[in-house]
Amino acid sequence: MIDHETELKLQAYLDGELSAGEAKAIAGMLGRDVCAQGLYQELRIAQSLLPGNELERMLPESREFYWSKIQRQIDRVESTQADGLPEEAASRWWPRFLAPAGVLAALAVFVAVVLRSPEGGGTFLALDDSHEIETPLEETSSFSFRSEAAAMTVVWVDSHRE
Amino acid sequence: MSQKLDFASADDKTLVKAAQKGGMQAFEELVGRHRDKIYGRAFSMMRNEEDAVDLSQEAWVKAWQRLKQFQGEASFVTWLTRIVINLCLDQLRKQKRLRAESIEQMDEELGGVERQMPVVTPNPTERLERGELRQRIDEALAKLSYEHRTVLILHEFEELEYKEIARLMQCSIGTVMSRLFYARRKMAVLLAGLKREELR
Repeated sequence: MIDHETELKLQAYLDGELSAGEAKAIAGMLGRDVCAQGLYQELRIAQSLLPGNELERMLPESREFYWSKIQRQIDRVESTQADGLPEEAASRWWPRFLAPAGVLAALAVFVAVVLRSPEGGGTFLALDDSHEIETPLEETSSFSFRSEAAAMTVVWVDSHRE
Repeated sequence: MSQKLDFASADDKTLVKAAQKGGMQAFEELVGRHRDKIYGRAFSMMRNEEDAVDLSQEAWVKAWQRLKQFQGEASFVTWLTRIVINLCLDQLRKQKRLRAESIEQMDEELGGVERQMPVVTPNPTERLERGELRQRIDEALAKLSYEHRTVLILHEFEELEYKEIARLMQCSIGTVMSRLFYARRKMAVLLAGLKREELR
């Protein structure tokens, strides 16, 4: 009885997919094992039968009809791509401005926070000596959180506010 | 003044170059020449006329779109055949995801009945005419699971190596070897005219 690994090696030997060393070992086994010889013979017959013996099939449509469908599909794909170009181009340019716009916005907020004194009209909520929350402009619905201890300012802008 | 190309007598390379420059007529000639082969490959994998027509058509459209990428390392028809094989494999994978896998299908994948099959040593097709042999081979291929059939098509007809088949079928080389082994054993039995019942 041959184990599955050896069966697969027999097949790989037949297909020329074994290394030289492994091929030598399998050739040796084939010389002395009758079971291996039988299986190898079966695989060899199955392997030799198919090449060159594939049933040829004809497309069940006329050349003209088949081509007309292909041409229509090509035209459709190309016109879709052409239509999509302006939108695609538009979607490509705006991300390039995201980073500079973000930096500018952060800078503007920072300047606003630094220049604005607590008495300047904004609402400050003191948490303790080193933290404060400010809502400088009610209508824009933005909040800034500043921590002196952490030397950090966080600005939150509610863009969903009506 | 440029010389007018005689499409019917031009070779594939010349037609491909003309098509790469946007020549639709050259591409039409390529379609006319190789449509049966591409359809045939799609049919052998799908075993369904409608799918084969649709997928072969899709392959031609994809070929037109990617024509500039074709560098001519392989022949045009080999390149195109790879496109249709990939489309068929995608479609077969989709179909497989849609249908629930039965125990029988899983059994088939792992070898199942083929594990107990007696070895068939005499060549069962020795006395067959070539046409009859092709017919018998085609009928036997139709009875295999798509995994077994595909691995045989790719190895025996497309002459691909194990690693190339593994890449196309998105599985390991070990799986390819196992599928090919059981596919061949099953083909040997089917060509010998034995039925599953006779093996039980």
